Amino acid sequence: MVSAQSVEPRRPRRRPPLPVKIVIAGGFGVGKTTTVASISEISPLTTEADMTTAAAGVDDISKVPGKRTTTVALDFGCITVDESLKLYLFGTPGQDRFGFMWDDLAVGAIGALVIVDSRRLDDCYPAVDYFERLGLPFVVAVNRFHGTVAHDLPSIRWALAVDDDVPLTTFDARDKLSVRDALLVVLDQALARARRAAQARAGT
Amino acid sequence: MIPDLPEETALPAGALIRPFLQTGAGPADPDHGGPGDDGAPGDGMSLRPFLLTAGRVAGADSIAIETQVVTTDTGRTASGELGFEFRDIVALCGDPLSVAEIAAQLRLHLGVVRVLVGDLSAQGHLSVYLPNADAPTDVDTLLRVIRGLRAIG
Repeated sequence: MVSAQSVEPRRPRRRPPLPVKIVIAGGFGVGKTTTVASISEISPLTTEADMTTAAAGVDDISKVPGKRTTTVALDFGCITVDESLKLYLFGTPGQDRFGFMWDDLAVGAIGALVIVDSRRLDDCYPAVDYFERLGLPFVVAVNRFHGTVAHDLPSIRWALAVDDDVPLTTFDARDKLSVRDALLVVLDQALARARRAAQARAGT
Repeated sequence: MIPDLPEETALPAGALIRPFLQTGAGPADPDHGGPGDDGAPGDGMSLRPFLLTAGRVAGADSIAIETQVVTTDTGRTASGELGFEFRDIVALCGDPLSVAEIAAQLRLHLGVVRVLVGDLSAQGHLSVYLPNADAPTDVDTLLRVIRGLRAIG
């Protein structure tokens, strides 16, 4: 049983729920905020946060030693799983010019849902690259704008060049149950990995 | 052409408006966005973030954005003696709230809230519950999340 760790145990009024999070990523305008809004029990909130940027593909990175931080808007929502567990959904800022380092969001996340517009596949490359490098479980979900997908899934998988073990699915960001099912694919991916890790520990 | 909600321009009803939009300032710029900003402040958010934190920007990185915060009895008793932003946070966290929610509701930069929450915690006014690092890879926790999501109808 996992519970929150108290740093300052000073008789709080009510014990807070254990927070877990899923990152909602993808390019600009692919439906990240819509996805969060469809399933969140609160209206999506926005706050400002600092993100580390590497302006790859825009500036010559060799002339910009080190990384820079920039202030971006961060949208998020939440789902109460049960009285002691709360799931947060954090949408990555949609800035296609920058390769963001979403460490603030991704560290400690269960996994990520990378949303793709099938007409603009390359917008999701930074997100796919990032989660692959980080080793975070992720799922590529094609948003069915107006009920259609511009390419079939095998073509999209080929174009994205993601591993066969990365699930590829379609969903409708405006539909609560469709978003729920896409999140469940992320959960299944994370669960499979957690079980493999647990078995590996038990076997040694 | 963006058939879906343009994420950076049209916020859903009830969402908070970002400070730089209220002040009519331009979009976030790496050179004019963070602490130490030299740009002229607008009338919406008149204090620059570093003034709220007395110039400190570091030291709060360990507070993850989903960290849960609750006001203590000490905090409730002392709230009248606290500065504005401190008082707002103490008033807001009667029930547990994440650092991200505090920032959004008080329209403060996430980094500012981390520093202020760290201060209030050190003074005993807040209890800070850091997320469990093992939870995202814990089989039982993941199964609970799956059950919770499946219950959404």
